[in-house]
Amino acid sequence: MPANEDKPLVTFWGTRGSVPTPGRITEKYGGNTPCVAVRYQDIHIILDAGTGIRNLGIDLVEEYNKVRKALSLHLFFSHTHWDHIQGLPFFQPAYIKDTNLTIYGSPHKEDFLASILKGQMDFEYFPVGMSAFSADITIHEISEEVIQLGEVVIDRQEQIYHPGGSVRYRLGVDGKKIVYATDVELNQIFHPHTDTKKNKILAQDYLDFIYNADLLIADGQYTEEEYPSKVGWGHSSIDLLLEIAYQAQVKQLAIFHHDPQHSDKFLDELWMKSRSEFHSDYKKMDVFWAREGLTLAI
Amino acid sequence: MIKKTEKTVRMDKVDKQSPCDEEPGHSITTEISRETFVGEIPIKQRACLEIIGFGEENKVIELGEEEVIIGRTPECGICLSVDNVSRQHARVFFRNEEYFIEDLGSTNGTYVNSIKVVRCVLRNSDQINIGGVKVLFTEEKTLQKT
Repeated sequence: MPANEDKPLVTFWGTRGSVPTPGRITEKYGGNTPCVAVRYQDIHIILDAGTGIRNLGIDLVEEYNKVRKALSLHLFFSHTHWDHIQGLPFFQPAYIKDTNLTIYGSPHKEDFLASILKGQMDFEYFPVGMSAFSADITIHEISEEVIQLGEVVIDRQEQIYHPGGSVRYRLGVDGKKIVYATDVELNQIFHPHTDTKKNKILAQDYLDFIYNADLLIADGQYTEEEYPSKVGWGHSSIDLLLEIAYQAQVKQLAIFHHDPQHSDKFLDELWMKSRSEFHSDYKKMDVFWAREGLTLAI
Repeated sequence: MIKKTEKTVRMDKVDKQSPCDEEPGHSITTEISRETFVGEIPIKQRACLEIIGFGEENKVIELGEEEVIIGRTPECGICLSVDNVSRQHARVFFRNEEYFIEDLGSTNGTYVNSIKVVRCVLRNSDQINIGGVKVLFTEEKTLQKT
C-alpha cells in the first residue's frame, strides 16, 4: 500500500476497449480491457472486470497472503459486454473462501445479471463453472438510488447510447467526486443533428452528473476522423469528450477505452496535441490518456 | 532442455551406432541444450534513470533489482539536494520484471509524463519530475558481458 492512503486511490488495471491487445506497440498504455480500482481506507471498489482484473486479483492475493485479512470487494459493472466481464473467471480472490465479493449491475437487462455472468463460465466457453468460486458472492441488481459503502457514496445513471445500454457511476468520497462513464456514444446526444427534446435532457443529465468531477474516466475511443465510420457502435469521439468535460468544469479527465488499433505512439501524439488546449486563466482541466499500472491520489 | 524425437533430429550429435540407424522407424530421444539449439546470445535488460539538467552533465544511474530511494538526504540512493525535493521523495522498485516509481508522501509530488502519481509502472522514455528535477527512464536490451 503506497503513501497517500488517507486519500482515495484510483488504479488503472485495464484501459483498452473492445478486445485485449497485447504486444510491443501497446505496452505503455496497456492491452488489458477495462478495470479500474478505487480504494479508500478498507473499502475496495472495482469498476468492471475486463482482463485487467486478473492483475488486480494477483495484487490483492499478495496482500491477503501477507496480512491474512479477509478481502471485502465491491465490483460494479458498467455493462456485460465481453470486454467488461471477461477477466472475472481469472480473478483469484473469487477462488478464496475468505473473500466477500458483492457484484453490482444494472437491473435493466433482458436476463438476470447472475445468469449472464454464469453464462460466460458455461463449459462451452470456459473449463471451470462459476460454482468453482469459493468466495462469498452476492450479485446485486441495483435498485437503490444511492449505495453507501462506509464513507463512499455511489450513485449511477443509465446510458442508453450504447448497444444494450450501460451504466455510469459517480463515487463521492472525502469531498471528492470520481466519475466512471465508459461505453457511451456522446456524439448521439450532443451532436447538433440529434438536437431533440429527449437528447437535451440526456445532455443535461450527463453534464450534471460529471459536473466539477475531480476525476472523470470517460470513453474516448475514436478520433474525429474515425468516428463517422463507427456511428452506432456506442463509443465517443475524443474531441467532443474534451469539449464537454471542459464545459462541465471537470478537473482531471482520463481518456479511457482506447481503440485496439491505437498504438502507444498514436496515443502519445493525441495527448501532445490536446494537453495544452484546456487551460485558461479561470479554468484548468488536466487531460491524460489512462494507462495501465498508474495509481493516482484524488 | 529440449527433447526431440527421431523425425526432427538432424544434427551431428546423433550417435551413428544408435539403434536408430540399425532399426529404421525406431525412435530415440536426444537431449540438446537450449544454448546449442538456438545459438543463444546472452541478453540482459538494462534500465537507467538519467538525471537531466542537474549539475553540469546528465547523470545516468543504472537500476538493478534493489529498491532505490530518491530524495534530498545524502543517505538516499539518488540524492537530489534541491529544496523542492523531499528528504525521502520517491522510490523506484523492481517487481514482476517491471520497474515502478512510488511517491513516498512527498510535499511537491512525483510526476510521470506530467501526471501526479502515487505509483506508476515505468516504460521506456517516461519523463519523471521530482521537485522540479527531470529524470528520464530508459530501458533497453543489451549484450550480457561476462
